[in-house]
Amino acid sequence: MAPEDKITKYTGKPAKILQSEPAMVIEWPRNLAHRHTYGKLSPFFEGLTKGKLLATRCVNSECGEHRLWLPPRADCPDCNQPMTWEELPQPVIGTVHTYARVEYAGAGIELTTPYFQVDVELPGVCTIFKGYLEYGTPEIGMKVQACFRTKDPTNTILDIYWVPVIDDTDRKS
Amino acid sequence: MITLKEGNWRIPKWNRKVFAVAGGLTDYKKFCPEMKIEEQVMVAFRQMLENNDLKLSPVEVKGLINFLACGEFADHFQDQLLCEAKVTDYLGLDPIYDIGIKTGGATGGSTVLTAAMAIASGYADVALAVGWERMSEVDTRTGNYYIATAACKDFETRLSRIYSAYYAPMAVRFAWAYNLSEETRAKVAVKNHLYAYYSPYSQQPGKYTIQDVLNSPMSTYPLRFLECCAMTDGAACMLLCDEKTAYKLTDKPCELFIAGGSHTLRVADRRDMEIPLLPHETADMYKGLRKKEGQRWPGFESFAASRFAAYFAYRMAGITNPLEELDLVELHDAFTISDIQTYGDIGLRPYGQEPDYIESGDAYFGGKCPANLSGGLIGTMHAVGATGIFSGIECLWQLQDKYDKFHGDPRIWESFGKKKPEDWKSLQVPNAKQALWVSHAGVGSHVTVGILRKAF
Repeated sequence: MAPEDKITKYTGKPAKILQSEPAMVIEWPRNLAHRHTYGKLSPFFEGLTKGKLLATRCVNSECGEHRLWLPPRADCPDCNQPMTWEELPQPVIGTVHTYARVEYAGAGIELTTPYFQVDVELPGVCTIFKGYLEYGTPEIGMKVQACFRTKDPTNTILDIYWVPVIDDTDRKS
Repeated sequence: MITLKEGNWRIPKWNRKVFAVAGGLTDYKKFCPEMKIEEQVMVAFRQMLENNDLKLSPVEVKGLINFLACGEFADHFQDQLLCEAKVTDYLGLDPIYDIGIKTGGATGGSTVLTAAMAIASGYADVALAVGWERMSEVDTRTGNYYIATAACKDFETRLSRIYSAYYAPMAVRFAWAYNLSEETRAKVAVKNHLYAYYSPYSQQPGKYTIQDVLNSPMSTYPLRFLECCAMTDGAACMLLCDEKTAYKLTDKPCELFIAGGSHTLRVADRRDMEIPLLPHETADMYKGLRKKEGQRWPGFESFAASRFAAYFAYRMAGITNPLEELDLVELHDAFTISDIQTYGDIGLRPYGQEPDYIESGDAYFGGKCPANLSGGLIGTMHAVGATGIFSGIECLWQLQDKYDKFHGDPRIWESFGKKKPEDWKSLQVPNAKQALWVSHAGVGSHVTVGILRKAF
């Protein structure tokens, strides 16, 4: 018999058997936290927490695409040159391009269901920007205004959301 | 505006012809505890080797394989990297080289494309395209989240964590732009669940009415559960060969053409572009397409990757008018809306008139070019890595006049613990000569279009 301190011991937790028929099925726990960088898009996510919507623009005079990108990207896909940051003027007003009402969401959802997802056209932006509507019922062509979670930010894309603009006096200040 | 240059438009060309000769499937089900995934692959592999009327014995055919393309969508369901090595070993094909293929929902199509490239280039004379997925390792909502990581993790995934929520905005926009009714969408679901009723392989067969579909629970408005594919455990195998080997192995080989297209992961980033025209289209057809405010192409209505793949596949195969020249199609109906969107991309109807493909009856058995007689993804399966192989096999069996053999034999039903329905009917398309299938990922991030042509 080997001395106690030389024996290789089992230190895990026995796998839970979920079912035995028609085959043995065990539980396979998987609980990990990844590290994820926002990389060169960090200014965008930091901007949201300060109530700013930052987009990127290609300033290469030889490139054809000089409109803004939102979601931003650090490098232009057309000429592959670095782009520059630009803040959208406040209030940020867009138009609903399309929408969906999420009733059944996947594991880990951080919003109460049902809610509306909106895809928003913004002036001067070559892309369409996805977000969610805090309240109200969207329709295609409806004007919406960007709001920011500057208090207790999530440090994710959920720090921007949209609210309906009924007319100019209804804008959220 | 995305603009492409001459070299980007080069039509792919095989250095030598490629043929499909045999296929094998499994029972497709939500949860298959009785078998591990490599054991399920073996079921498909055996059916491919033993039941396709090959002229050599299974062991002799195995002895000809010199390349494997292995499709699996996601490692994180099984928590197993390099499952390809386990499968190749389990099938007894070590140490033949296998390449793992990953292009989301289009993994199966990309797997066939990779195997075809191996044949066309001369790397292999006989290549196995094999795909699988085992999604039941996690509960459904976790599975929904895993799949939603095929949306952009920084800008999209947190906004729903379920894939129907990335298709629902397309359904809303498409309905607004092109007058698509909820009933037409529901008809796709009714049709594909019904065709699955005649398939022993199917996971979600059912005789539903339009009202049943519209009354079924909502996933993401406007998409109901009966309009969505489910998660599946299962596998599929397809055998590809060069011309000489193809005729040595079977009296019923089919020539294969397949091409792909890719587009941005985020629908948001789809900038307007000119529509690449299919051989039967003219620019005049689309002059009015952008008349509504904010309209762009492909926008939320269409898939540039599908159009790009079709643009190349039709030219590879010399097809000049798809609706006239194709006898059937198998489309990637992960959702009713994505099925309908695809009708325009592959030219079954001009853009803007997609619903007419259903409403005209063309899409039904007995119609001009029936779609998804296999039951498709909505009715039969979406074991993601296997799906684009399954669809191709269903096309192959139709062209080989073997629909009844592989769907009507009561022993196949019984081997899956099922009973062949009393009112089973054959969905064999008479004298089918040419078939097309689509394999599709993300919200259109990767798409392959494959064409099989009877060569006997």
